[in-house]
Amino acid sequence: MLTLTSEIRTPYHRMRAGAKLAALCAATVALFVMDSIAAMALASAAVAGLYLVPGMRFARAGLGLLKPVWFFVALVLLWHGLTGDLQLGTVIALRLIAAVALANLVTMTSRFDDLVEVVMWGLSPLKRLGVRTAPLGFAIVLVVRFIPVMLDKARLLIDAWRARSPRRPGWQVALPITLVAVDDAEHVAEALRARGGFDMD
Amino acid sequence: MERQFTLIALFAALIAVLGLVPKFTLASGIPITAQGMGIMLCGTVLGARRGALAVLLFLGLVALGLPLLAGGRGGLGVFAGPTVGFLIGFPIAAFVTGWIMERMRGAPVFPAAIIAAVIGGILVLYIPGILGMVAMLELSVTQATLSMAPFIPGDLIKAGLAAALTAALYKARPSSVLSRA
Amino acid sequence: MTPDSTAIGPVRLTGVTHGFGDRSVLRDLSLTLSERRIGIVGRNGSGKTTLSRLIAGLIAPEAGQVTVAGVDVARDRKAAIRTVGILFQNPDHQIIFPTVEEELAFGLRQLGHDKTAARAEAHTMLARFGRADWAERPVAALSQGQRHLVCLMSVLAMAPRVIVLDEPFAGLDLPTTRALRRYLDAVPAQVIHVSHDIAALSGYDRAIWLEGGAIAADGPAEATLAAYLQAMEALGDADADL
Repeated sequence: MLTLTSEIRTPYHRMRAGAKLAALCAATVALFVMDSIAAMALASAAVAGLYLVPGMRFARAGLGLLKPVWFFVALVLLWHGLTGDLQLGTVIALRLIAAVALANLVTMTSRFDDLVEVVMWGLSPLKRLGVRTAPLGFAIVLVVRFIPVMLDKARLLIDAWRARSPRRPGWQVALPITLVAVDDAEHVAEALRARGGFDMD
Repeated sequence: MERQFTLIALFAALIAVLGLVPKFTLASGIPITAQGMGIMLCGTVLGARRGALAVLLFLGLVALGLPLLAGGRGGLGVFAGPTVGFLIGFPIAAFVTGWIMERMRGAPVFPAAIIAAVIGGILVLYIPGILGMVAMLELSVTQATLSMAPFIPGDLIKAGLAAALTAALYKARPSSVLSRA
Repeated sequence: MTPDSTAIGPVRLTGVTHGFGDRSVLRDLSLTLSERRIGIVGRNGSGKTTLSRLIAGLIAPEAGQVTVAGVDVARDRKAAIRTVGILFQNPDHQIIFPTVEEELAFGLRQLGHDKTAARAEAHTMLARFGRADWAERPVAALSQGQRHLVCLMSVLAMAPRVIVLDEPFAGLDLPTTRALRRYLDAVPAQVIHVSHDIAALSGYDRAIWLEGGAIAADGPAEATLAAYLQAMEALGDADADL
């Protein structure tokens, strides 16, 4: 299954997912409380340092994940530059980069299954209130299993378009793709019913 | 019961797939990312509650590190960024879209869906979206709105397409359109 | 085999290599296909699906060239769609439009006909198959075999010189398979049929057996298919795709 977890081993991989998430929350709050350019520069350097500990390859991968942020960095600098407050703009831009980079760091160093476990653990108090949390685990499994299946079928349909048209696929291909979702939902529901229905705790 | 559950799960997958396939082209040649249509479809097809659940499931998986947002983006980073307002808005948009769709059960599918998709999928979505940008980027509401304005025409087209898809789906698989049940 | 290359444009593969990532699926393949009915057999993973996509121009080879009647099908898509058509396995992963006439008219519009002309031609094609009443019928209301026929008509409507079939009869009952087979036998275009089911290729002119991306055997259909069958039976369960 394709996740954003990095294959490059880091010391952070060994840390418990729950601990990393807690640290991330605290650090993000801290970032949004800071407002001096000096503090922000220091924080950004610290984040960069965290990325460099496992090596250049890891740091470069982290940089790749920051691509969507640059548009907003430019936007912020532009708007705040126009209103004459470039210093504020720089603080915001740095904060943006640091916050996103820290969050990405947790994603890159935590396994999907470990994060799911943390979520289920976090939801466990609901069980005492009578809410069933097991269906969520099953729902996650279903979605993860069906995305590649649906993607394959979507690609077949796109091929069927390309086989008859030199132009790029039009929005109409979304209809049969949606039908795939509906029909697969029907088949899985049938399989569920055949296996005794929805009693899963 | 089981079918409602599997429809929620598979529409969550559908949102992902519509973001992961190459962009579709409109007749005029303009490329569009279909993922926004997926959010609207969750509302128009599944209704308010189930549509919102499908979107929440999708977002949960994105947060857990799956690259399911259009362009293969994902992870906690997207929730720490300036588009977090839109992400929070997605399930709300699906809910309102579905809610309007359910209220308009008496009207034909296409007009009901287009009204639902425009109000829920655009108006309601942009409010938390723009507020999120205001908070994260310390922009004024005007500045944030102007920054996002170029995307609105595309979203209006997507709402129309989502409505057309819902109508076609209702013809092909009427029982799957839970918002009309 | 003396092909009449003016009537049936040859499919020519020259030094075709294609892979996915590190895996090379087809290695330096060169073929000239001009016989009227050609079967391509091989096990799962032998490269026959990739070959079918290459001939249809849906993928461009990493090395080498694929031409059909002189058209570089991967690069010149406009000419390619009027030269080669392809029929896939599952109609549900192939039919795009909700009604039969829209589905048939789609290819015709892509060939340049305007809306009215395309619809008229679609109706003509339906009438030729005795299905004029299908025009406005929703595809969802058709049976599986009927949907297969819609896919076939959609391809034939574009009158390509070459039709590639990628296991199009999977999952159909015998009478339906026979009926579709009869329609295909009557088609004037060259048919290149990819299959792992030997019975589907009976009466063909030539057969090519692909194994691991290279040609294991190539010649008159009867003899080649017999060799293939023999080899498959000798393998037993050891090599099953399980």
